[in-house]
Amino acid sequence: MNSTTVVKQQARPLGRPTSRRPLIVALVVIAALGATLPLWTAEEPFLLMLASHAVIAAVVALSLDLLTGNTGLLSFGHAAWYGFGAYAAGLISKLLTPEMLIILPFVVLMATVIALSIGAILIRQIGKTFAILTLALSQIFYAMVFVFSSSTGGEDGLQGIPLVTLAGQQIVSSDAWFWLLYTVLVLSLAGVLYLRTTPLGRAWLAIRENTERARFIGIDTGLLKLIAYTVSAAIASLAGALFVLFNGAVSPDILHWFESGKILMYVVLGGMGTIIGPVFGAAIFTFAEHYISSFTDAWLIYFGGLFVIIVIVAPGGIFGIFGSLYRKVTGKTGDAA
Amino acid sequence: MLAISLALNGIVLGSVLLLFSLGLTLIYGVGRIVNFAHGALFSIGAMLGVWMSGQGMPLWATLIATPLVVGLLGVVLDWAILARIRDRPMVDSLLLTFGLALFITGVLYEFGGRNVQIMPIPQSLDGAIGLFGLTLPVYRAFVSVLGIALAAGLFLFLKNSDWGLRVRAANDDPEMGACLGIDREMLMHSVVGVSAALAAISGAAAAPIFTAYATVGDKILILAFMTVILGGLGSLRGAVVAAYVVGLIIVFGEGYFGGQMALMLLFVLVMAMLINWPRGFFGEGRTE
Repeated sequence: MNSTTVVKQQARPLGRPTSRRPLIVALVVIAALGATLPLWTAEEPFLLMLASHAVIAAVVALSLDLLTGNTGLLSFGHAAWYGFGAYAAGLISKLLTPEMLIILPFVVLMATVIALSIGAILIRQIGKTFAILTLALSQIFYAMVFVFSSSTGGEDGLQGIPLVTLAGQQIVSSDAWFWLLYTVLVLSLAGVLYLRTTPLGRAWLAIRENTERARFIGIDTGLLKLIAYTVSAAIASLAGALFVLFNGAVSPDILHWFESGKILMYVVLGGMGTIIGPVFGAAIFTFAEHYISSFTDAWLIYFGGLFVIIVIVAPGGIFGIFGSLYRKVTGKTGDAA
Repeated sequence: MLAISLALNGIVLGSVLLLFSLGLTLIYGVGRIVNFAHGALFSIGAMLGVWMSGQGMPLWATLIATPLVVGLLGVVLDWAILARIRDRPMVDSLLLTFGLALFITGVLYEFGGRNVQIMPIPQSLDGAIGLFGLTLPVYRAFVSVLGIALAAGLFLFLKNSDWGLRVRAANDDPEMGACLGIDREMLMHSVVGVSAALAAISGAAAAPIFTAYATVGDKILILAFMTVILGGLGSLRGAVVAAYVVGLIIVFGEGYFGGQMALMLLFVLVMAMLINWPRGFFGEGRTE
C-alpha cells in the first residue's frame, strides 16, 4: 500500500463503534420479537426450521464481518471454517459423545488452534494476496473431505449424526432448538458489539481505516489481525458445529466456494462493517434463497447477478441505504466510524 | 521411467497454466484487479469448444473462434461492469469479480448442463510419439507447443508493439501513463479482452485433456493464483517460471501422493515463498 492509494481510498461510511440509544432500543425490540418466533410459527413447523437456518447463517455472517468489518481483511474462503466446524462436530458426535457441552468447546478449540497457526502466515499478507490465499485454503479444506472419505463419507456427506444432548437432556423439540440457536446468536452479537467499544475494538477500527498509521501509533497490527482472524474462525466453526447437530447431516457442499460466496453475500447485502447488517442480511438472504430457488433452478444466476448489482449500486448494503436515508430525513451528517 | 512421463505431463499442465496465468497477470498489472471470474472464463472456453466441435467445426477453427468470442465478451464485461468500479477501493473489485464468477457459473449450468462433456481429439492429432523411450500423446505435445508459442507471441507483442508499450507503461505507473496520453479506458477494455481470450483458448485447448464442465475452471484458477503469487503479482516473467514449477509440483504430487495432497504441498510451498520472497521469483511482484 503506497501513499497515493492511501489518499485515494476514501473509507465509505461504515458502522459506528459508538452505541446509540435508538439503535439499541430497536435492536432489543427486534431481538425480543425474534425470540417469540416459535410462538407464532406453531402452525408452520417448516417456517421455524427455515428461521433456525437463518439464525445459523447469521452467526456465520457475524463471524465474517468481525474479521472484515474490523480489520478490512476480506476472506473469500470463510466456508472453510464453517465447514470445518460442521465436519469436526459431526465426527465427534458420531465417534465420541453426543453431548453438546463437550462437542462445542472442543470444536471451537480445534478451530482456534488451527486458525492461529495458519492465520499467523495469512495475516502478514495484504488485501489481495490474503483474499487469494483464503480462497485457496477453502479449496484445500474441500479437498480434504475427499482425501479422508472413509471417515467423512466423501461425496455422500456425513450422515447419521446422533441426537445431541445438552447437559444430558436430549433436544427434540424444534422450539427448543430455535431458542438454543437464537441464544448463541444474541450472545455472539452482543459480544462482538461489545468488543467494538473496548480498546481492542478501537485498535481494530484503526487498522481498518489505515493500517500504516495504526502501525505508526504503536499498534501491533499483525497480532491484532491474527486475533481477529482467529476469533472469526472460531465463531464460524461454532456456527458450523451447530448446523450439523441441528441438521443431522452435512455434505461437502458446505466447503465449496459457492458457500463462501453466500457468506460474503450476507455481509455485502447487510452492509460491511456494521456487524448488525450482516445478521439481517443473512436472515433476508436465507428466506429469499428458499423462495426464489423453489420456483427457479437458475438460482445461481440470480444470486451472482444480485451480488454484482449490489456491489456496483449499493456498496454499503442495506444498512448503507438506510443510513443515507436516515441522514437525508434528519439532516444529520453521520461521520464515518 | 515414471519420473520422465510425469515430467512431460507436468510440462503440459504448465503450458496450460502459463496461458491462463498470463491473462490473470495482465489484468492485474494494468487494472490492479484480481480477477476471480478468470476460472469461469476458462470454463466458458472449454464448454464453447466442446459445443463448436459438436457442430462439426475443425479444431483449428474452434481454437480461433473461442478466444474471439470470449475476448469480445471480456470487452463487453469490462465496459458494462468493471468500468463502474474503476476508482473504488480494491475490495469492490474483488467482490465484483467474485460475483461475476458465480453468475457465469450459473449461466453455464443453465445452458451447458451439469454433466461432464467430452471433447474428441481430431484424427490428425490422435497418435502418440515416442520420446525418451516413452509415448506421449500427440495432442498433449500439441497443447504444450501451442501454449509456449502463444506465450512467446504475447511477449513479443508486449515488447515491440505500440499496444505493448502502453500496457507496460500502465503496468509500471498507471497515473503517469494517463498523464502521457494513454487512454486508460480503451487500454483496459483491450487488456480485459486479451485476458479473457487467453483464458478461453487455454480452456478450449485443454478440453480434450481435462474434459469440460461448468466448474472445470475452479481448480485451474486456484493453481493459477498460486502461480501468480509464486511468480510475483504482476510479474510476467515470474508467471512463466512459476507456471511450470506449479505444473510439475502438481503432476509429481499426484503421481506420488495423490491429487489432493499435491494441492496441500503446493499451498505449503506458496506459504514458504511468501514468508521469504513475497515479491516472487524475480523480485518484481507488487506487494501493495
